[in-house]
Amino acid sequence: MVPNHPSRATASPTTSPETRTSTTRATAVAAAALAAGLALTGCAGPDAASGAASDAAPAEPTPGGTLKFALGAAPQGVDPQQVGSNVSIYVARQLADSLTDQDPETGEIGPWLAESWDVSDDLTRFTFHLRDGVTFSDGSALDSADVRASFDAIAGDLGAAAPLAASYLAGYEETEVPDEHTATVVFDEPNAQFLQATSTVSLAILAEETAAVDPAERLQGDVVGSGPFVLESYTQDQGAVVTRREGYDWAPASAEHEGDAYLERIEFSVVPESGVRAGGLASDQFDAVGDVLPQDVPQIEGSGGAVLTRANPGVPFVLQPNLTRAPLDDVEVRRALLVAIDRQELVDTVLSDAFEPATGILASTTPGYADLSDRLAFDPEEAGRILDDAGWAPGPDGIRVKDGEPLEIEVTYTPVFTGSGPVLELVAQQLRAVGVDLTLRQLTAAEQTTAQDSGDYDFYYYNVTRADADILRTQFSTAQRNLSLREPDDVVDPLLDEQLGEADPATRETIAAEAQEALLDQALAVPLFELAQSIGVRGDVHGVTFDASSRLLFHDAWIEQE
Amino acid sequence: MSAVLRTRPAALVALAVVTLILAWALVPGLFTGQDPIAGVPADKLLAPGAAHWFGTDHLGRDLFARTVHGTSLSVRAALLAIGVALVAGSGIGLLAGFLGGPVDDALMRATDVLLAIPGLLLSLAVVTALGFGTVKVAIAVGVASVATFARVMRSQVLRVRHATYVEAARLAGAGRGAVLLRHVLPNAAGPVLALAAVELGAVILAVSALSFLGYGATPPTPEWGSLVAEGRDYLAVAWWYSTLPGLVIALFVLAVGVLGRALTRETRTDR
Repeated sequence: MVPNHPSRATASPTTSPETRTSTTRATAVAAAALAAGLALTGCAGPDAASGAASDAAPAEPTPGGTLKFALGAAPQGVDPQQVGSNVSIYVARQLADSLTDQDPETGEIGPWLAESWDVSDDLTRFTFHLRDGVTFSDGSALDSADVRASFDAIAGDLGAAAPLAASYLAGYEETEVPDEHTATVVFDEPNAQFLQATSTVSLAILAEETAAVDPAERLQGDVVGSGPFVLESYTQDQGAVVTRREGYDWAPASAEHEGDAYLERIEFSVVPESGVRAGGLASDQFDAVGDVLPQDVPQIEGSGGAVLTRANPGVPFVLQPNLTRAPLDDVEVRRALLVAIDRQELVDTVLSDAFEPATGILASTTPGYADLSDRLAFDPEEAGRILDDAGWAPGPDGIRVKDGEPLEIEVTYTPVFTGSGPVLELVAQQLRAVGVDLTLRQLTAAEQTTAQDSGDYDFYYYNVTRADADILRTQFSTAQRNLSLREPDDVVDPLLDEQLGEADPATRETIAAEAQEALLDQALAVPLFELAQSIGVRGDVHGVTFDASSRLLFHDAWIEQE
Repeated sequence: MSAVLRTRPAALVALAVVTLILAWALVPGLFTGQDPIAGVPADKLLAPGAAHWFGTDHLGRDLFARTVHGTSLSVRAALLAIGVALVAGSGIGLLAGFLGGPVDDALMRATDVLLAIPGLLLSLAVVTALGFGTVKVAIAVGVASVATFARVMRSQVLRVRHATYVEAARLAGAGRGAVLLRHVLPNAAGPVLALAAVELGAVILAVSALSFLGYGATPPTPEWGSLVAEGRDYLAVAWWYSTLPGLVIALFVLAVGVLGRALTRETRTDR
C-alpha cells in the first residue's frame, strides 16, 4: 500500500508512422513529452540513468549467470498491477510489459506491446494497435481481450487492492475490442494522464486468466505476464526468484538490446539492515543491493563497486495530516510545521548526496512541478510566532500547550525506505526545538492498511512516485485517496479535476501549479525530502538500468563471466 | 552475604557494578549532563572521546547519555518481568505442591507446556498479542519465565509440606491457608528468591532482545536493546554505536549473575 508509484513521464504518441492524431494535439503533446524528458534527464544525469554499463570499459555482454540482489524492504507481493512500493516493483516489473514505454532519457512515450495508438480529440478514446507475436509466459498469445480483461479488473473488483492502477483508470467506461489486435479504451470524461499511465507497471498487461484470480493469490505469485523474466518462487518477507524467459523478443526501443535477457536468474532477498547489505556486496554475497545509505558508500566503492542513483519524480516524502484530529485540524499548526523543518539538515545528516530536500509538494523532476521553496524555507522563529499567535504557549517541559492540551503529534509510517526511521527521528528533534512533540509509530505493511482505512493516524508519512502532476489528484482529491480525510472544498478539488481534463499541456501545467500553491496554502502536506534510488552494484555487474520512474530494469543487465 | 563478599572479591566487584548501574537508573542526571534526546546533527557519528565518552550516534546524540538514560527503562522492565514471573510462578508452584492430586497434575502439565516452548518465542507471541511498548515487553518476558519459578517453588513446597513443624501446625488446628502462608511459604521461599536474582540477568537479556527486535520503546526514547539495534546500520563506520551499549548490557548481566550465584550459595549455607 505504501505508495511509491509506478510510472514514467507525461504522455504522448510519438514515433509510430501509424499514429493518427489531430495535428495540433500531436504537436502539443509532443512538447509535453519533451518537457518531461528534459525535466527527468536534467536531474538524473545521463551517467546515472544509464547505470553501470558505461563504467570501467566493459567488454561485450556475456549471457548467463545469477544475479543476487538484496532488497532493503520486503515486497508487498509480485502482482504488477497491485504493488506500489519500489522494492515490489523491482521484482514485479520484470514479469510484465506495458502497452507503451517511456524513454528514461527523453521522456518520450514509445511503442511496446502496442505498436501504435490514436487518441481522440476530446481525450476520451484511446485506441491501441497491439504488436504481433507477443506471448505470455504460459504460451498464450497477447490479444485485445487480455487488455480488456486487465483494465476491466482494475476498474472493477481488483481496484480496491490496486488503488493506484484504479486511479489511472478514473472515469473508465469500457475497452472495446473491434478485432484481436485493436483495443479502444473509453472514458466518460477527458483523461489527460492516461497515455503516460499505460507505460507504468500498474497498468501492465497480464493474461486474461490472471484477471479472474483472487487479488491475494495474485500478490503471492499467481500472475502470468509477458516480461523478460518469469517468477520461479516468491516467499513473503524473504524474497523472490525470477528466471529468464526464453524467446522474449519484444523489448521496447529504449532497451539496449533485443531478444532474451542476459541473466539466467535473479535472486531477490530481503535484507533490512543497510550495513549488512553493503557488507554482503563487499564480500561477494550479493551482486547488487538497494537503498544504499551514505555510511555504506565508502565500503561499496572501496570493494570496487559503484553506486547508481536516480531521483524519483512524484510526491516527495511528506507528512500528510489527518484533518479530523487535533491538533492538526488547526491550519496554523500545520503552517508552522512547514517552516519548522530544516530539510537541508535531513539530507546532510541521514541521507546522501543523491537526495534533495523537498522544494514543493511535487518532486523537482516531476513534469508540472512548481518551485515553492520560499514557502518551505527553514525559519524556526517564524514557526514559533505562528504558534504563539494561534494560542500555543510554551509549556513547562518545552512542549507548547493550548487549553491544557500539549502539542503532541504522532507520525505513522512503515519502513518502506531504509532511511525513514532516522529521518523522522531528526524531524522530531527539529520540531521539539519549536515546542512540538512528534512521536513515531512504526507499522508493519500488514497493519498499515487497517490504520489507513480506519483513519487511525495524525500524520501519515509516505511518498508516491509518478512522472505526472496528476499524482496530486490521486493523493489529495477528496474523491480519491484523501489520507487527510478532508471535506470537499471549492478551491483545491476543482483545480485537481480541471487539470485532468485539460488537453493543452501549458494550460494544464498552470492549473497544476495553482493546485500546488493551494495545497500548501492549507498546508495539506508537509514535504520533507525527495526520494532517490541509490543502488550499489559490484564492479563486474553491468547494464542495470533505471526506467523513467527510477525503478530497476534487468533486461540489459549482465555479469562478467569467467 | 557479607561473608561471601569478603571471601569472593568477584562478588564485590559485581556489587559495585550493579550499584552503579542501578544508580544510573534512579538518577541519570547525576552521571551525565547531556541531553539523551536532542543531539547536534553536525556532531554525528563522532568516535568516543573526552566530550562524548561513548561517541555519538547518527543524529549527533551523546551515546553515553542515551545509555545512562535508557538504563531506567530497561532495568524497570526487567524488574517488572521478574515480578510477574515470581508472583505468578510462585503462586502456581505453591498451590500445586501444597494441594497435590489433580490440581498438581493440571497446573504442572500446564507449566510443562510453557516449558516446551522456547522462552523468547513465547515472549514474542505474547508481545505480539499485547502490542508494543516497554511494559508489555516486560509482561511478555515475565510470562515466559513463569514455568521455571513454578517448578522450583513446587519442589520446595514438596520438601517442607511433610516437615514435622508443618504437621504440628496442622495438628494444632491451623487452617490450610494459615499453614500455607505462615509455615510453608517462608520456608520454601529462599531458593526461589535466589532464582530470581539468577534469572534477572537472563530477563534483562530477553527484554533487550525484544527491544532490539523493535517491540520496545518507540524512538527516540533510549533503551538498551534498541540502542544496540539502531547501531546495526552503522557497524562498518561506527563500531562504538552498538558495541558500547552492548558492553554495558553484558557487564550488567554478568554482574547480576555473579551476585545471584553468591546469593544462591548463601541460601544453601543457611539451610
